Amino acid sequence: MGEIRVRAALEDFFDRFLGRGDAAITVPPFDGPLKPNQLLEHAEVVGEFAEPEDLAVVNGALYLADGSVLRRIEGSSSREVRRFDRPVTALAALPGGGLAVALGGTEIEVLAAAEGTGAGKAISGGGMTAVNALAAGPDGTLLATDGSADEPYLEWARDLLDRGRSGRLLSIDLATSEIKVRASGLQYAFGVAAVGHDALVSESWRHRLVTVAADGKVRPVFDQLPVYPSRIAPAADGGFWLTAFTARTQLFEFILRESGYRKRMMKEVPPEFWVVPRLRSGASFREPMQGAHLKTMGVVKPWAPPRSYGLVIRLAADFSPLFSFHSRVDGGNHGVVAAAELDGALYVLAKGPKRLLRLSISQAKEALAQ
Amino acid sequence: MTENVVEFRKATKLYAGVPAIQDVDFELRRGEIHALVGENGAGKSTLTKAMAGVVTLTSGSMFVNGVEASPQTPLEARHLGIAMVFQENSLVPTMTVAQNLFLGQEKFYNRLRGIYIAAQQFLQSLNFDVTPTMTVGLLGAAKKQMVEIARAVLHQAQVIIFDEPTASLTPEEKNYFFDLVRSLKKRGVSIVFISHALEEALLLADRITVLRDGKHVVTDDAVKFDRARIVQAMVGRDLSNTLYGKRKTEVRGAGERVLTVQNLKMAPMVKNNSLSVFAGQITGVFGLVGAGRTETFKIVAGVLKRDFFHGGEILLRGKPVRYLVPAPAVRAGIAYVTEDRKVEGFFETMSVARNIYLGILAKFPRGRFFLSNRESQEAGDSWISRLKVRAIGTKAKVVELSGGNQQKVVIAKSLAQQPDLIIFDEPTRGVDVGAIVEIHELINRLADEGKAVVVISSYLPEILALSDRILVSRQGKVVEEFSALEATEEKIMYAAIH
Repeated sequence: MGEIRVRAALEDFFDRFLGRGDAAITVPPFDGPLKPNQLLEHAEVVGEFAEPEDLAVVNGALYLADGSVLRRIEGSSSREVRRFDRPVTALAALPGGGLAVALGGTEIEVLAAAEGTGAGKAISGGGMTAVNALAAGPDGTLLATDGSADEPYLEWARDLLDRGRSGRLLSIDLATSEIKVRASGLQYAFGVAAVGHDALVSESWRHRLVTVAADGKVRPVFDQLPVYPSRIAPAADGGFWLTAFTARTQLFEFILRESGYRKRMMKEVPPEFWVVPRLRSGASFREPMQGAHLKTMGVVKPWAPPRSYGLVIRLAADFSPLFSFHSRVDGGNHGVVAAAELDGALYVLAKGPKRLLRLSISQAKEALAQ
Repeated sequence: MTENVVEFRKATKLYAGVPAIQDVDFELRRGEIHALVGENGAGKSTLTKAMAGVVTLTSGSMFVNGVEASPQTPLEARHLGIAMVFQENSLVPTMTVAQNLFLGQEKFYNRLRGIYIAAQQFLQSLNFDVTPTMTVGLLGAAKKQMVEIARAVLHQAQVIIFDEPTASLTPEEKNYFFDLVRSLKKRGVSIVFISHALEEALLLADRITVLRDGKHVVTDDAVKFDRARIVQAMVGRDLSNTLYGKRKTEVRGAGERVLTVQNLKMAPMVKNNSLSVFAGQITGVFGLVGAGRTETFKIVAGVLKRDFFHGGEILLRGKPVRYLVPAPAVRAGIAYVTEDRKVEGFFETMSVARNIYLGILAKFPRGRFFLSNRESQEAGDSWISRLKVRAIGTKAKVVELSGGNQQKVVIAKSLAQQPDLIIFDEPTRGVDVGAIVEIHELINRLADEGKAVVVISSYLPEILALSDRILVSRQGKVVEEFSALEATEEKIMYAAIH
């Protein structure tokens, strides 16, 4: 045992020295179906909101969680349909027109209808700490991803810097309110969709999508992503829309390997200036990576290493990427955390600028083909 | 003085009883640029080699300035005022540029400094950016070509034969070369110009001669030719649409990501390069000479090594790999078809079958103790028929084949390894149009079968005709990606230069 540890330590030392293995600190490229464009940046802005968080389509209507308010989107306007006592951290449409709402990341309220005043059924317990995505599962269940058992939802950056691996996939029986842990030890589960009896889960800190079988077996289906994936929404003609709230850079990868530096940074530097991915950037010159490698003659280079990024990836039914919509480093529609398809349009929630965006899918596909 | 500086009458050259050229009549006028075109094996090289004294004619006669001549050696040809710049350069790699330039003209006492000064002045007069003190082995292909050309000019030849002179030159270097050829013409020098790039022949030549299967087909003024007429004369059939004529109207979608190169470094050629290659499609990689394309994929295939410290990562099907030699890469399903087939592609004095069999042997972890002649023969037969290699038989030596067929042997050697990722580096360099079509069909077929195919090429029409997605490389890294549907020559070249 001791011999194995010494060997592992030596290997780690040489890997660090030579820059290989885990210490290679490399980032996959944006190419092929992930080739950058500015379609998300140039998307129509439906509206700006105070604290937008998630989207859901219920009975052909689009709902948006805005802080503790649930809004119905109607064209370019919105109206409040419900108000909760805590911020909403996730939404999901349920079969039969119901709506599931995660509140503060610690409780789930199941509503019979999206609109109205009637109180829903509250489900709590099970150690829920940072519930950030919900999806209707098979056989009257609700699937939920609990990002971290250690940090609340809003403290996701701290979980990343602590190399958190306490994410879970929960399966909740809506009839009995029983909570089962389908998978644990996930490195920030942030997005879920049902695929038959399996669940498709995005594991943000490992930059991959996995399927979790009914027996809890985890299988990677799309890995080595150049981004931090977030929520997953079903596409109308099969497949999925995967959102990503920010992109990887070699600097972040490097910082995530340097424990001593990270600890000191978290202790001494204000959180807004940590070297960590963000939902928006460029607000202050004190932000890391604001030097010449980002700007030339005052113009932000779109291909510069991003501190924040906006991306939606269209996945086929076999989880392979087909195409993607981007808001690059010089754009502002960053921090994409949710998407929903409705009537041939894709609604995208960019949490960085707090905007709801709309793209015509057919027009966007035409633009990609040119 | 006669109008024709060189003339052939019923020139015939037999190799082991097989005619390379047969009853060819050819005239080279004083001060003209004469393009010689034809498929590989058409006899262009043999005709020019006879002119340059590299081979002697079996029958027929050659006249220089109206006087019958039969140069037995290149030196004799040079004394007649005929110099040849070879397709595969004939420089001495361990000597400097200046020493190569003055090779054969040494005096009893050579002052090296004097040679360097003379070489420097001469190279500058030609506008060639080559350092005379550099060892030739350290030069890139384009610069070696420049030295070859400079040497021919230095010998003050009245006839200079260029065999595929522009194959390894960048567009800018080509323009320099064309200007040089035109200036030579003004000085009364006659130029014979062998090229597979038909546009160059049309652009540069005064007259064009087409050879096919060792026979003269047609000679006419260049202005009376167009691309289609040349191609038809070369191959006896119309290939203009099947070659580079038609653009892609649809592209193959990306399958599984087979290869990911992440922040790869190999100073000074590869600088933080990242790219992906997907199954079931052809990824074209374009770039000028020195853009680091070949080096990147040679690192992938284990031919070159990345930087030892923080050299980046290569992922094959998501798993990090690092090959220090090519053998494990071959076993992992990576095949690299080299751009320099003569040096890296085959053993030229071994038979076609043995060369292909060597490819199969590379798959075995520790080689094979006993070799099977039967297996070798079967592999040779199978691949010769599959790739339509035109050879007398499996026992024919590779050196006896034409360029296109040699290239097919190199490809067969790689495909015999049953790879999943096939990297073609300049797959049709020095290959005739007929073979180009066949090689292109093969590359397309491989992609249709679901293989991940990479085509590295400096020839834009080839990249546009073949690729489903196009990566443009500049200064050691991929700087732009295009779908074949959106790409144009202008866009690609802009990305490659700016």
